[in-house]
Amino acid sequence: MEHKLVDHLFRHHSGKMVSVLIRIFGLQHLDIIEDAVQDTFIKASLSWRKQQPEYPEAWLTKAAKNRVLDIFRTLKTQKKHYSTITTGTDAIAINELFLDTEIEDAQLRMIFTACHLQLDPRDRISFALKTVSGFSTKEIASALLAKEDTVKKRLMRARKAIKKSDIQFNIPKGKALPERLESVMEVLYLIFNEGFHSNNKEQLIREDLCGEAMRLCQLLLKRKDTRSPETYALFALMCFHSARLETKVGVNNEILGLKQQDRSLWHFPLIELGNNTMHKAVETESFSCYHYEAAIAAEHLRAKTFEDTNWNKILKWYEALDQLQPMSSHQLTMAVICLQKEDYDGAKDHLKKINPEDFEQRKYLYYATKADYYFNIKMLEKALTNIDIAIENVTNNLERDYLLKKKTKWLNNTSN
Amino acid sequence: MIFVGKEYTDLGLSPEEMQGRMEKWFAWGSKMENAGILRGGEALTPQIRRVVGKNRTVTDLTSAEVKEIVGGFYLVEAEDFDTVQEIAQDFPDYDLGNTVEIREIMVFDR
Repeated sequence: MEHKLVDHLFRHHSGKMVSVLIRIFGLQHLDIIEDAVQDTFIKASLSWRKQQPEYPEAWLTKAAKNRVLDIFRTLKTQKKHYSTITTGTDAIAINELFLDTEIEDAQLRMIFTACHLQLDPRDRISFALKTVSGFSTKEIASALLAKEDTVKKRLMRARKAIKKSDIQFNIPKGKALPERLESVMEVLYLIFNEGFHSNNKEQLIREDLCGEAMRLCQLLLKRKDTRSPETYALFALMCFHSARLETKVGVNNEILGLKQQDRSLWHFPLIELGNNTMHKAVETESFSCYHYEAAIAAEHLRAKTFEDTNWNKILKWYEALDQLQPMSSHQLTMAVICLQKEDYDGAKDHLKKINPEDFEQRKYLYYATKADYYFNIKMLEKALTNIDIAIENVTNNLERDYLLKKKTKWLNNTSN
Repeated sequence: MIFVGKEYTDLGLSPEEMQGRMEKWFAWGSKMENAGILRGGEALTPQIRRVVGKNRTVTDLTSAEVKEIVGGFYLVEAEDFDTVQEIAQDFPDYDLGNTVEIREIMVFDR
């Protein structure tokens, strides 16, 4: 018998099931629904050992639906207030909700709910990963480099906020839409970044995060009211970055900078998809941050070799980006670019504008750049002091190896 | 082979992790099937009804309330214990602290 299942079938199906079941039974039953979905997967993992169903997805859907109905039946006999749930003619309407288009609609409602402005911005990502993408508390903790307890608290806070504000399970209309859409895009952007730039030691979880963000962004693009030049730009940005995802790590699991990446391995179909999406994104007068970031990513991809990179153009995009949204990380990048162009005064100016504490967990990036700056202006001692601070603060093993290698090279260079 | 230990229900596994484990079970099952040694097997639900003692005291338990639970079994045909021990190497849940017990079915002479 052929036993191979679709990759991530359970994970993706979990998000679908939760969303559709909430659509049917209401957001107030989130806990019951999550339990029922969990039960369904346990049941599947046991009973499929003997025989795998011909249509695993349909099997899961049916089982989850029945499980929820079971639970409601039990609750109904225990307490009176679940009497609103009936199983007769409503069952027909329920079946309609399991059509593919309806499932997508339900998932979008779920994302918009998770990104409601009444939820604390930090709670939104955790809650979205849990309900929309079927991550466990442990997986979210590992993905976001947070403690499991912290994630649990965030999820609880999100649930409370939903109850307290009586949040509706829908995609807002009219004036409320652009504001909420912005929050949705921000969460997707953060999920993607967590995957792409992550300090995470596990490659697998990073690919999963990027994949989830892209899948959800595509859902936004499918609908007329949720797609905008900004969503197109966000998706293009994700495509451009993802095209390089696999080449970021070398054969020995070490991290590779743009300079060392094998450009022939960049994933061309994704670049093409990004380009096509970008054409739609630029049909507007005003550009968003996503536009500029996508433009920058595209510029990197355009260069046949690292030396061919058009740094002036990239610098220009960064300046525009920083004007729209001033951030220390933009200053840092501009400093790096100046170093590339051997414009050391320029680099110094940008570095001066940075408060390293803005980077929190990633402040090693600042010190590593500062180290590069001093090395380039031949102040080795200061370069070494800074690279040591960077090594001390780095959280990712791959990045640490990269920095250590660089330090050794510097030391060897001078002793020769 | 009898499988004893923690239930998936009580471990808070994510859907992804469950799928991963299930695929290992698939692989193991297929391997035994292809070798032509598999004679049967069942997975057991985590509900327990226990009847104890001369008063026939009845208790309903779930897997969360007992330390270890028999989760299921596979029936295989093999030469001896050593052969089955070899087969049991592929049991997917050792990392959860779970156990495989190998028992022989008693064959009575007619």
